[in-house]
Amino acid sequence: MVGALRVAIAEDSAILRDGLVQLLVDRGFAITGAVGDPVALRSSVAQNPPDVAVIDIRMPPTFTDEGLRLALELRERYDGLGILLFSQYIETRYAADLLADNAAGIGYLLKDRVADVSDFVEALERVAIGGTALDPEVVTQLLGATRRTDSLSVLTAREREVLSLMAEGRSNAAIAGALVISEGAVEKHVANIFAKLDLPVSENNHRRVLAVLRFLES
Amino acid sequence: MVEQAEDSEVRVRLRGKEMSLAVTEEQAARMKATARHIVREPFTKRPWSELGFFLVSGGLAGVGLAFVGITMVAGVALAITFFGLAVLALSIRSARGFGGWNRALARSMLGEKVDDPEPFAGRRGFLGWLQSSLRDRVGWRSVGYLALKVPWAILGVFVALSLWWDAFACLLRPFSGSNGGGPPVWGLVPNLFGSDFFWFNGPPQGFLHGLAVFLLGFVFLFAAPWVMRGFVNVDRLLIRSLLGPDPMATRVRSLEQARTQTVDASAATLRRIERDLHDGTQAQLVALAMRLGMAKEKLEDTDDVDLDRVRELVDEAHRGAKEAIAELRDIARGIHPPALDIGLEGALATLAARSAVPTDLSVDLRTRPTPAIEAIAYFCVAELLANVAQHAQASRASVSCAQQGTWLRLVVRDDGRGGAQLTTLGSTSSGLVGLTDRVHAVDGRLNLVSPPGGPTVVTVDLPLSP
Repeated sequence: MVGALRVAIAEDSAILRDGLVQLLVDRGFAITGAVGDPVALRSSVAQNPPDVAVIDIRMPPTFTDEGLRLALELRERYDGLGILLFSQYIETRYAADLLADNAAGIGYLLKDRVADVSDFVEALERVAIGGTALDPEVVTQLLGATRRTDSLSVLTAREREVLSLMAEGRSNAAIAGALVISEGAVEKHVANIFAKLDLPVSENNHRRVLAVLRFLES
Repeated sequence: MVEQAEDSEVRVRLRGKEMSLAVTEEQAARMKATARHIVREPFTKRPWSELGFFLVSGGLAGVGLAFVGITMVAGVALAITFFGLAVLALSIRSARGFGGWNRALARSMLGEKVDDPEPFAGRRGFLGWLQSSLRDRVGWRSVGYLALKVPWAILGVFVALSLWWDAFACLLRPFSGSNGGGPPVWGLVPNLFGSDFFWFNGPPQGFLHGLAVFLLGFVFLFAAPWVMRGFVNVDRLLIRSLLGPDPMATRVRSLEQARTQTVDASAATLRRIERDLHDGTQAQLVALAMRLGMAKEKLEDTDDVDLDRVRELVDEAHRGAKEAIAELRDIARGIHPPALDIGLEGALATLAARSAVPTDLSVDLRTRPTPAIEAIAYFCVAELLANVAQHAQASRASVSCAQQGTWLRLVVRDDGRGGAQLTTLGSTSSGLVGLTDRVHAVDGRLNLVSPPGGPTVVTVDLPLSP
C-alpha cells in the first residue's frame, strides 16, 4: 500500500466523530475531513478525495436516511470510492439498496463494532480496497428471514458458519482465522456450500457476497 | 305608580302607603331606557320581521310536516315490504331537508347563529344508504322539530295576530258610535271566553268605558311584539337544540380529536425519547466502548505499553461513562419523574427549588389526583417554569396548585416582560404544544394571560380524575 489510507468521516455526534478521528489517526490513517452533515461531506470529498468515506445514516436535517442517500450519490459520482455506512440500527432494506448491483467497496456496520478496534479497522481497510464488510447482524437477519431454510438445512453447522462469514465479506484467510481452521479446510467448505446451494463459483470475495445474498433474498 | 324625585329617589305608592326606594342614577337610567324600549318596540322593524319569519317558516314547516307525515305513514304501512322502508328513508331524508330550510330562514331572517349539523354520510350501495337514512339522527331530530314547530307556529301566529287585531279594534272602538259599529274585538281573549264575557267587548257605555277600552288597546299594542318575541324565542331554542349539530355527535367529534392529539403527543414523546437516547446516551456509550477497546489493544501489546496513552484513554472513558449516566437520568426523569412517587406536592417543591428564577410555591390539595393528572400537572409546571427562565426575564415566579371542587387549578405567574403567546411559547418550546394537547385530552383547559410589560399568568384546570 502506498502511504496511509485516506478517510473522510460524516457523523453528527461530536463525541463519536472525535473518537473516530482519534482511533483512526492512532491506527495510522489519514483523515481528509471530519464533518457533521451531508452537505459538508459532499464538499470535503470534492476538495480532498478520500479512499473511503465513513458515513452515519441518520444525519441532519431530517435525521432519517440522509447518509444512505448521500452514499448512493457519492458511489455514483466517484468510481472506486469505498463507502462504510455506520449506524446504530441495522435496516436490512438499506443493505439491499446499497448492494443493489455491486458489493464492491461497500460496508454496512453497527456503530458498536468500533469497540473491537481491530475488527473495525480490518473492515474499513477491506472496504477501502474494494471489498465488502457487512455487519454480522445484517447476515443474521437475512439468514433468519430467508425462505430457503430447507436448502440451508442441507449444510452442516460448520458450513453455515462459513456461509455467514462469507456473507459478511471476509476472505478465506480471514474466515480461517476467525474459525481457527486451516485455509485449505475453508476452501473445501466453500466448495461444498457452492455445490450444495447450486451457486455460481467465484474467486472474487465481493461477487461471492452478492451471490450468497441473492440466494438468501430469493 | 312611579314618579322620579330630584334626588334620584323613586317613591312608590302602594295601596295608599308611600314607601321610598333608593335607586342609584344608573338604575334609574336603565329603567328609563327599558321603558323607552317597550314603548318604541311596536314601531320598529323587528316584531314585523319576527312575525314574517313565523309566517314563512311556519308555512314551510307545515308543508314539510304534511309531506314527512304522509310519507312516513305510507312507509310504516308498507314497512313489511322493502318499498315501505325506502319510502320511510326518503321521508327522514326529506325531513332533514325541511329542517335545513328552516335553519337557513332562521339565519337570514332572525340572524340566529346556528351551525349546520354533521352532513349525511350514506354508506355504500343502496342498502347502505337505506340503513344510514333510517338511522340518521339529524333526520329524526328534524322530524321532531317539524312536529313541535307546526302547532307552535299556529298558536304563535294566532295569539300575536289577535293581539294586534284586538289592539286596533280597542283603539277604534270609542270612535265607532254608540250602536256598536266598527271592528269587533274578537281576538284570542274573547274567543276563549265567549264574546260577551268581557266588559270591553260590548258597545261603548259612556265616556269612562270608552276611555278604558281605548287604553286597553294601547296595552295590547305594546304587549303584542313581546308576546311575538316570546314565541320566536322558544322557536329559536327548538332550532338550536333540534336543527343544530347533535350535541352527542359534537362530543364524539371532540373526543375523537382529543384522542388523535393524545396519540400524536405520545408518539412525539416517544420520538423525542428515542432521539435523546440515540444522540446522547447511545453515542456516549459507543465512544466509551471505543476508547476502552483502544486501551485494551494497547495493553495487549506487551512489549511496549504506552501507559500514558492508556491512562488518557481510560480517563476519557471514565468521564464518558459518568456523562452517559447523567444523560440517562435526565431522560428517565423526562419519561416519569421519580419525584411524583412521593406525591405532587413534593414533586412541585423539587421543581420550584430547582427553578432558575426564585419561585414561591403553595399547594392546597385535599384529595390526591390520579397519577395521569399528577404527571400532566407536573410536566405543565416544569415546562412553564422552564419558559419563565428562558423568555420572561422575570425576577420572581409563583406556582399555586389548589383544589376547586373536582378540579385541580394550577396557576403559574411571573413578573417578567409579558407579551407571551401560546403560539410563540410553542415555537420556542415544542413541549408546551404537546402539553396543551395533553391538557385537552383529559378535558382540561389551559389559559394564558400575558399583556406586554407583564405579568404573565398561565392557568391550567385539570379534572382530579378524568
